[in-house]
Amino acid sequence: MAGLASLLPRRHDEDAVPDGGRLPVLPALRGLLPGGLKRGTVVTVGHWGLLCLAVAAGASAAGAWCAAVGLPQFGVAAAADAGLNPGRLLLIPDPGTGWPQVVASLLDGCELVLLRPPGQPSAQMRTRLVATLRRRGGVLVVAGGWDDAQARLLVVRQEWAGIGTGHGRLRARRVQVAVDGRGAAARLRTRWLWLPGADGSVGAVDQIPVSGQGMRDTG
Amino acid sequence: MTAGGDLSERVLVVRCPGWPVMGREPGHAGDGAAPGGGAVRDTEPGAPEFGQVVSVVEGFCPRVEVLHPGACAIGARGPARYFGGEGALAAKIIEAVTGGGFACHVGIADGLFAAVLAAEQSQRSRGTRRARPGGVMRVAPGRTRAFLAPFPVSVLDSPDLTDLLPRLGIRTLGEFASLPAAEVVNRFGTPGVIAHRLARGLSRRPLAPRPPSADLSVGQEFDPPARQAEPVVFTAKALAQRMHDGLAASGLACVRVQVQVVWSSGQEITRLWRHDGLLSALAVAERVRWQLAGWQGGQDGPGDDDAARAGGITMLRLTPDQLVRDQVQQLGLWGDAVVSDRLARAAIRVQAMLGHGAVTRPVRAGGRGPADQVTLVPFGDTNDRALRQAGPGRAGRTGGPGWTGEPGRTGGPGWTGGPGSEDRPWPGRIPAPSPATVYPAPLPARITDDSGATVAVSGRGLVSAPPARMSADGAPWLAITAWTGPWPVTERWWRPRATRRRARFQLVTEDGAAWLVALQDGGWLIEARYD
Repeated sequence: MAGLASLLPRRHDEDAVPDGGRLPVLPALRGLLPGGLKRGTVVTVGHWGLLCLAVAAGASAAGAWCAAVGLPQFGVAAAADAGLNPGRLLLIPDPGTGWPQVVASLLDGCELVLLRPPGQPSAQMRTRLVATLRRRGGVLVVAGGWDDAQARLLVVRQEWAGIGTGHGRLRARRVQVAVDGRGAAARLRTRWLWLPGADGSVGAVDQIPVSGQGMRDTG
Repeated sequence: MTAGGDLSERVLVVRCPGWPVMGREPGHAGDGAAPGGGAVRDTEPGAPEFGQVVSVVEGFCPRVEVLHPGACAIGARGPARYFGGEGALAAKIIEAVTGGGFACHVGIADGLFAAVLAAEQSQRSRGTRRARPGGVMRVAPGRTRAFLAPFPVSVLDSPDLTDLLPRLGIRTLGEFASLPAAEVVNRFGTPGVIAHRLARGLSRRPLAPRPPSADLSVGQEFDPPARQAEPVVFTAKALAQRMHDGLAASGLACVRVQVQVVWSSGQEITRLWRHDGLLSALAVAERVRWQLAGWQGGQDGPGDDDAARAGGITMLRLTPDQLVRDQVQQLGLWGDAVVSDRLARAAIRVQAMLGHGAVTRPVRAGGRGPADQVTLVPFGDTNDRALRQAGPGRAGRTGGPGWTGEPGRTGGPGWTGGPGSEDRPWPGRIPAPSPATVYPAPLPARITDDSGATVAVSGRGLVSAPPARMSADGAPWLAITAWTGPWPVTERWWRPRATRRRARFQLVTEDGAAWLVALQDGGWLIEARYD
């Protein structure tokens, strides 16, 4: 019976992702975030972009509901290509001045919230949100600054492939991502990634050597 | 034709052409709006204004059923006897509605389905030589089946059947109606039976034979009276949920829901809304909102009296009307994309803070530019055609089945939804990868060549000079390290007001950022950013 159960589509009522302490991340990001995203914590990404989507994609693909708050420019197609499931996505483009309360309410239902804070959050607001986060076991991915984040990701270097001067087209981007943080994550780590790869997905650079060659030729 | 109880009652439909299509029944095509054209989902423009038409029709028959903004129906038998025949009744209604400044057409037939088609028919035949004065199409009692026979099967509200039947050689309702009922059940199941009944001029489903033993209506009193619409609408969500739970417990669904609002002055306004077991609790609440907005905006309602308006709302009651057995709205055995209660509660709470339209779910749409490829649907709206087709979302569950893609790889055929045009080729669409940042309104930009002159594109698609520097929305100038283009695209050239000519470029600036920019009407716009 256990084997049969694994074949069935996931019952959406039980949409808590099973692995208790952590939300999974995409295989390409495992080197940067070993073990995944720790529940009840905040992860920051330098600014809004594909890296935010990549961080959220693993949990979404595993069945977690995601909400994107304060992001009217959210590229849904890029999110889907990166692996995020758009069928389990809520968009709240304009949360207004009461955004901390909006985020807290969403954390009741969503396991992962992508946030670009409309204003600088005060220390009191942050403390209250983090308490909600711990209670609910969610993860908050912030585009921008947030003190006391568990992990901070940043694109250090990037290089587009496939585009020349007046010819070609954007095909893929090679980025060097650095991460530091607190506790076990305190050591600075860097990895090269395709973000996006030729098909829009996220991959580690050494996994796609062939397409890299082809892209340079085209460019 | 058949046993007496099955015959439909006489129904009169009033239809105002050119009303916004939001919320209309799919399958009754023939409106001015291009299908899938704009993906317009602004918040129900015109729903309150239609309240004025409804109040006029209410002068003839107190029980008016609003099918969608732009069309409403009344039972024709009683009023027709009072006003001296169906023709006289229709003429009086047209006169009154036209007097209010709205064009309208009227159809009278046995049953709602035929009456709606008759109203559309009367509109269409106006321009031809068979023009009917006032736009009335009356189908004589008992002639409904003959009237329906020449219609193509595509008028049935069932995408599966309208696709399948023509391939089986069944092109008209007449041909479909001539099939034996038992064979239709065997081959097409419950949806087929409903369609077959409609094609034969019968009502959609037999009405429930006995009245329900328990009172399934739900109500809420407000003390102190509610002076704002928002808390009433919010309460309506909870009430609708309770009503649906009660119906589900009895295995029933309602064809219509009656919304009754009482003000502290004692005035009340009651209206019927089409339900068909398809509306979610949120969608019912939205009907309540329309009803309140329509009354407040109405000229001729009881709302003239400002004191009464200030009195506030004391009572809201939802009553399910015309109960039928719930046949096709069962949940799949392994829950289809049903939103969990926990998530629905969270989303509803945010909607209560920010408004119904502030929490959205993406549905894929067709288009060339990145901003055209996604439509946002308010959370809880199962009203959308795409969402309705995607799967059986049982009435009473919040949140429709949406984007039923497999988790993980959703870029491909797993995307569902949209106005049905997302899988067309869309020549000239922007190639993958997709941009992570799609500006809802394009940012103005300046792009110049080496000499500092703005880069232009000739009518034949030639660039005046290679772009060298870019400034986004007043930001500092950045050198352009790589670029490609132009990719000219001319969209909707057949509609002068919506036409759009753009020449798109992809650019990489010195900071490593990649942009999708476009030249339109001599000005540069930033449509999206890739990184």
